Amino acid sequence: MRKEDSVKLISAEGFEFVIHKEAAMVSQIISNMLTSPGSFAETEHREVTFPEISTTILEKICQYFYWSLQYANGKETEFPIEPELTLELIMAANYLDT
Amino acid sequence: MAMNERKTIDLEQGWEFMQKGITKLKNILEGLPEPQFSSEDYMMLYTTIYNMCTQKPPHDYSQQLYDKYRESFEEYITSTVLPSLREKHDEFMLRELVKRWANHKVMVRWLSRFFHYLDRYFIARRSLPPLNEVGLTCFRDLVYQELNGKVRDAVISLIDQEREGEQIDRALLKNVLDIFVEIGMGQMDYYENDFEAAMLKDTAAYYSRKASNWILDDSCPDYMLKAEECLKREKDRVSHYLHSSSEPKLLEKVQHELLSVYATQLLEKEHSGCHALLRDDKVEDLSRMFRLFSKIPRGLDPVSGIFKQHVTAEGTALVKQAEDAASNKKVGLLMTIPTLANYLM
Repeated sequence: MRKEDSVKLISAEGFEFVIHKEAAMVSQIISNMLTSPGSFAETEHREVTFPEISTTILEKICQYFYWSLQYANGKETEFPIEPELTLELIMAANYLDT
Repeated sequence: MAMNERKTIDLEQGWEFMQKGITKLKNILEGLPEPQFSSEDYMMLYTTIYNMCTQKPPHDYSQQLYDKYRESFEEYITSTVLPSLREKHDEFMLRELVKRWANHKVMVRWLSRFFHYLDRYFIARRSLPPLNEVGLTCFRDLVYQELNGKVRDAVISLIDQEREGEQIDRALLKNVLDIFVEIGMGQMDYYENDFEAAMLKDTAAYYSRKASNWILDDSCPDYMLKAEECLKREKDRVSHYLHSSSEPKLLEKVQHELLSVYATQLLEKEHSGCHALLRDDKVEDLSRMFRLFSKIPRGLDPVSGIFKQHVTAEGTALVKQAEDAASNKKVGLLMTIPTLANYLM
């Protein structure tokens, strides 16, 4: 993946997820950050730390981003959610406006 | 997100943190040496608002934050923006206004993103204006409200200077007039009431003055050339900096002052009016006359009246010629009718 096309999302435990920018933009908050006037265009530190999102949840969210893009492209599959993750997932989704 | 473990942020504390971000933003806008926002800055500011809005009552501070959001703009505008605008005049004031408006839009964009969470639920729940609208309204109610008259006058003055042949900064005017449009947030009311109406009035007065001089000094063809040139220039003006919706209204004013008002005097000018042009077969001038007068209501009525008189007179003369010739057996009637027909083509 080219540097310009990727972002790095870092969980509370420090786990780094490098994903496509397009996927990350499924989150309105991340999208806003990446399209704000000025700073981020040329910046190298296209990385965001989420000290309040655990690794498990962040991983699930990244999976969701990709699933969402596929769904939008017509590939209508189910997105599996383990019941024990639901509450935290909902909160994280609300936080990230996803 | 582990909400139960989260420490409650107290309003004063949380706001102090936000204030730092807002100050940083203002410094950036003022051009001071201030590093840009990092993604970490961004997330922390967003998260602070998020937390303060999702805390359990009585620590749910959405209303207070919504008010403080607006107050941030009001404070900046009254302490910094308005004073800098008040001390400038004419073209300098226009330049400063354009700069401040651009800055304001950037400020709205950033702050509304930090405070974004309020847009998600709070504003809908209370049927309040969204953050973007609040931000723009602040500028409108504080800056625009105070200065739009001065701005309008400065713009019209520049337009009249350009009419007199001076070079003006057209891009500047376009930017200023864009403000009148944008401040309406979808409605053209501000542009129409606070600028266009006065501009049209000034235009009418300008061309009325010009016409009253030209009608005395110029021949009909010369006057028409000037009128056509003026219409062309005004149309050009619209395409460069006026809003497109002004075009029909503007041209109507010019046509009225230059053509409708003086139609009779112009057409009946003794040595150069419509009759003379027909007589001397001045096709180019007659075409111009047709083009110009066809645009005004009933504009061609006097023209066609004179034309009818002319044809009748010419026709009658030719018929008489033919009668005379017929009696001399020199030119047949059959010859004269084609001549008349050719003439009318």
